[in-house]
Amino acid sequence: MRADGFSSAYGCDNFVFPFGRGGFRDRGIRSENPSIIARATAGANAVSAICCAIVHGVSADVIGIAATPLDSRLVDELAAIVGRDGIVSRPSELKVYECDGWTVEKNSPDLLVMPRTTEQVSAVLKALWRRGLPFVPRGAGTGLSGGALPVNAPVMICTSKMNHILAIDLANRRVEVESGVVNLHVTNAIKRDGFFYAPDPSSQQACTIGGNIAENSGGPHTLKYGVTTNHVMGLTLVLADGEVVELGGWAEERCGYDLVGAVVGAEGTAGIVTRAVLKIVREPEDHRTLLATFADVEAATRAVSAIIAAGIVPGAIEMMDQLIIRAVEDAFHAGLPADAGAVLIIELDGLVAGLDECAARVTEIARSAGASEVRLARDEAERAGLWKARKRAFGAVGRLAPNYATQDGVVPRTRLPDILRVIGAVSKKYHLAIGNVFHAGDGNIHPIILYDERKPEEVRAAVEAGREILAACVEMGGSLTGEHGIGVEKQGEMPLLFSPEDLIAMTELRRVFDPMERSNPNKVIPRPGSCVEVAAPRRQVPI
Amino acid sequence: MRAPYAHEERAARIVAEPADAREVAELVRACETDGISLAAMGAARTLGEIRKTPVALGVSLNRMRRVIAYEPADMTVTVEGGVSVDELNRTMEPSGQRLPVDPQRPDLTCIGSLIAASHAGPLRLSEGTSRDLLIGIRYAGRGGKIVHGGGRVVKNVAGYDLMKVLGSSFGTLGIIVEATFKVRPVPEHYAMALARYDDAERTFEAARALNDLPLAHLEVLSPAAAESCGFDGKYVLLAGLSGSRSEVASQYAAAARMAPGARLIEKEDARAAYACLRDFDFLSQSLAARAAVAPAELASAMLAADAEFVAHAGSGVAELFLNRMPADVRATVARWREIARGRRGHLRVIHCDPEVRPSIELFDLPNSGAMGLMRRLKTAFDPAGIFNPGCFVGEI
Repeated sequence: MRADGFSSAYGCDNFVFPFGRGGFRDRGIRSENPSIIARATAGANAVSAICCAIVHGVSADVIGIAATPLDSRLVDELAAIVGRDGIVSRPSELKVYECDGWTVEKNSPDLLVMPRTTEQVSAVLKALWRRGLPFVPRGAGTGLSGGALPVNAPVMICTSKMNHILAIDLANRRVEVESGVVNLHVTNAIKRDGFFYAPDPSSQQACTIGGNIAENSGGPHTLKYGVTTNHVMGLTLVLADGEVVELGGWAEERCGYDLVGAVVGAEGTAGIVTRAVLKIVREPEDHRTLLATFADVEAATRAVSAIIAAGIVPGAIEMMDQLIIRAVEDAFHAGLPADAGAVLIIELDGLVAGLDECAARVTEIARSAGASEVRLARDEAERAGLWKARKRAFGAVGRLAPNYATQDGVVPRTRLPDILRVIGAVSKKYHLAIGNVFHAGDGNIHPIILYDERKPEEVRAAVEAGREILAACVEMGGSLTGEHGIGVEKQGEMPLLFSPEDLIAMTELRRVFDPMERSNPNKVIPRPGSCVEVAAPRRQVPI
Repeated sequence: MRAPYAHEERAARIVAEPADAREVAELVRACETDGISLAAMGAARTLGEIRKTPVALGVSLNRMRRVIAYEPADMTVTVEGGVSVDELNRTMEPSGQRLPVDPQRPDLTCIGSLIAASHAGPLRLSEGTSRDLLIGIRYAGRGGKIVHGGGRVVKNVAGYDLMKVLGSSFGTLGIIVEATFKVRPVPEHYAMALARYDDAERTFEAARALNDLPLAHLEVLSPAAAESCGFDGKYVLLAGLSGSRSEVASQYAAAARMAPGARLIEKEDARAAYACLRDFDFLSQSLAARAAVAPAELASAMLAADAEFVAHAGSGVAELFLNRMPADVRATVARWREIARGRRGHLRVIHCDPEVRPSIELFDLPNSGAMGLMRRLKTAFDPAGIFNPGCFVGEI
C-alpha cells in the first residue's frame, strides 16, 4: 500500500517526507487557513496510520482539518467564561507557549485559555466543541516529548490557575488536588507530618500533577515506589464535549473498568483532568545515600545488576557519566569526583534496623564491581547535596550547548552496558556530544544529545541520533519511553514496538473518551495531520 | 472441546482447551462470526460465581502453562495465561524471587484470572496488586486479533495502557493469553505478630497504630474468621513482618509497643498461619462480599455491617461474610452496599446462593458518567457482545 493512496482516499495531498521517515516531519508551511492543513507522515508510521484509518474511516476532522478559524466572537465567549485575564491572544505573548521541553519542534497556539475551575473548563470545551475546534492541554510545559505542542489544535488550555490543594487526609493517606498543583508542592504540604508523594520527576519544582497524570511520570524514587499510575486513585475528567465525569475515587479497588488507569498516561488525549485524588506514602524511618565512583560506565552498570541480583530494592539508583559529572561540577561545585568515569547515587530506605547492614552489603557489591570509592552521605545536608546535583544535571548541561534533546529509552537492566556502548558509537557517528544521566535501577536511560539549533544539519543529526538509540533499545527488548511519553517526538517509532492491531486497539481506547479526537490531536499514535513550524532559535526551556 | 466438569457447569456449557494464542484467536473469530458467547475460565471459580447463566463456550487455558521468559537478573517474567500463581512462583523460587500477589488458593488461580478478576490477598498492603506489577499483556480481542500492550521492561509508558483496561475487566473485553510481570525478591525472613481483643473497636484501634510500620500485611479478623484460621474465637489482629532478621525483630518490638500483648509467630508456624489467612474460603460461606472504602473508614464500616469479616486494614478492603443465609439476602446486600458507599467506597458480592443470584446486583454500579464511558469501552472492544456478556457492571 502506498502513502499517496491514503492521501487521495482522505482528500488530503501534499505529503512531505522531510527526513525519510516519520516522527520529525514536515514543518515547511503553517497555513493561515486551517482548512487546508492536512499532511501525512511517511514510512514506518504511515503503514500503521493507514491501517488505522482504513479500518476506522478517519474523518477529515480527525486528521486535522480544523472546522472554523478562530474569530473574535469565540474569544469574547471564552473571556466571558474565564475572564479577560484568563485569555492570552497576542502572538508575542503566545510565543512562550510554542513548545514544551521538546524544543526541536515549535508551533504557537492561536489562543491560550486559563480556566480556574472544572466548570470553566467544561464551559470552554463546550464552546470549542460547538465550533469543532481541537485543543491542546498544558500543565507547566516541562514535558519532554512535545505532548503540549499544538499540532492542528488552535486553542491551548492551561491548567496553571487550577492550583489548589483541596484536601489533605493523612488518616486515609490521600491528598486531593487540582490538576495545576505543582508536584513538589504536594510533598511540601505533607512532609512535616512524615508523608510524601512518591513520583518525583527532575522537573518536580515546576511540573504539575495534571502533566504527571498525562505522561504517567516517574522519577528516581519510582524504582521502589512506582510511577504516577500507582498513586492516582481518582480523577475528575472533562471530556472534549464538555461533559464532566468522575472516575475512581478514594478506595483502593475500582468499580467497573479501570478507567483511571486508562487516562493516566494517555498524554492528554482523553480530555482534561481537573482534579485528582492521590495516594501518599509514609516517609521511611531513615535513609542511607551512597555515592559510588567508577572508572567507566560499564563497571557502574555491572554494580547496578549485582545490587538488584542480590535481592536489594533500593529507593533509587541513579547514574551519571563523565560528561554529566563535569557539567554538574563546573556549574554547581556539588562535590562529585570530577575525574570519575561514572558515579552511582544509591539510596536505601526503610527501617533503621536494616539500613546499615544493607549499606555495607551495597558497598561491598559496588567495590567488587570495580568502584574505586563508595562514600556514605554523613548527614541530611550531604544527602540533599547529592540529590540536588542529580536533579540539576539537566540544567548544568544547558551550559554545554545551545540546545539539547533528552531521550527516554528503556532496556532490560542487564542490557545497560550494551545500550551505553551503542550511545557511545552513535555519538561518534553523528559528531554530537551525548551525556548520560539516568535511572539505572530500572533500565531507563536518558541520553542527553547536545546540538545547536542554528545549524540545521545538527538538528537533523540530533533527531537521527535519538532515533537510532531508541531503535537499539527496542532491539534489545526495551521500550521507546519510560516516563516522558510518546508525544510527537516518538510517534514515528511506535510501529517498532506495536503492530497495526495494537495501534488500532489503542486508537479505539482513546476514542472511548474522545471519539472525534479533539483533545490533543495528532499525538501518540502515528497518523497523518502533523504540521509544525521550525522557528527561529529561542531560549532553552528549563527542566 | 469437551463437556464441562461438574465444578465448571455454572460457568460454561462446553469447554475448549486451546493449545496456544493462535488457537484462542481462532475460537474468538469463530464465536464472533456466529454470535456465540465465550469466556476464559481458569478453575471456573470466579466465572461460576458471577454468571447468572453459563456462557456458551468456556475457554480453559489449562494447556497454556508455559513460562515463556524468566530473566532473574532483570526481575521480569513472561508467562502464558494458564500458568497458576503457585507454578509461577515455584519456577522463580530458586532465584529467590516471587510474584508477590497472593490470591486465595494460588494453586488454583491462573495468571489470566489473577489479572482479569483482580484477585489479591493480604500482601496488597506492601506489594500492591497485579495492577501494580503487570508490565505487558497479550490478549485475543475483537475479530480474533492478538493485541499486545506494554512490553517486557519494568518502566514503560509507550502507548495506551492496555494492561489497566484488561485488568479487572472480568473477561468482558478479550481473553488474556500472555502476561509479563515485574517480580520482587522473596524477603529473607517472615514472621507474624498476633494480638487478641475482646471487641472490634480496640482491635481496629491497634491496627491504626500499627499501620505506620512498613508491614507486609495487616488484618483484623472477626471471631468466626479467626476461629476458621485456628485462632480462638475473639477479634484477632495479624501483622505480617518481613525483611532481614534485624528488620523483623525491630518491627516486632514496635508492634508489641503499639499492641501490648502481641505474640510473635515465627518460621513454619507463621507460614502456616499466613496460608490459612490467605486461603480463607469465602466461597463456602452462605453470603460473602468484598467492600473497598476510604482506608480510615474501614473500621466503622465493619462495625456497622453486623457481619463476620476479614479486614485488610491499611488498604481499606475487606471481605464480609455470613455463615448462615440471612432471611432477606437482597436487603442485607443493600445494607452493606450503603455502608460502603457512605464511606467513599463500593461493594461487590463475591459469593451467594445461585438461586438468589438473579435478584442481586453482584457488582456495584459506578456513577452514570463513568458508566457511559464503560459502555462505550465495551462496545469498542467487543462490538459483537460475545466476551462474557451480561454479568459485569451495569450488565455489560
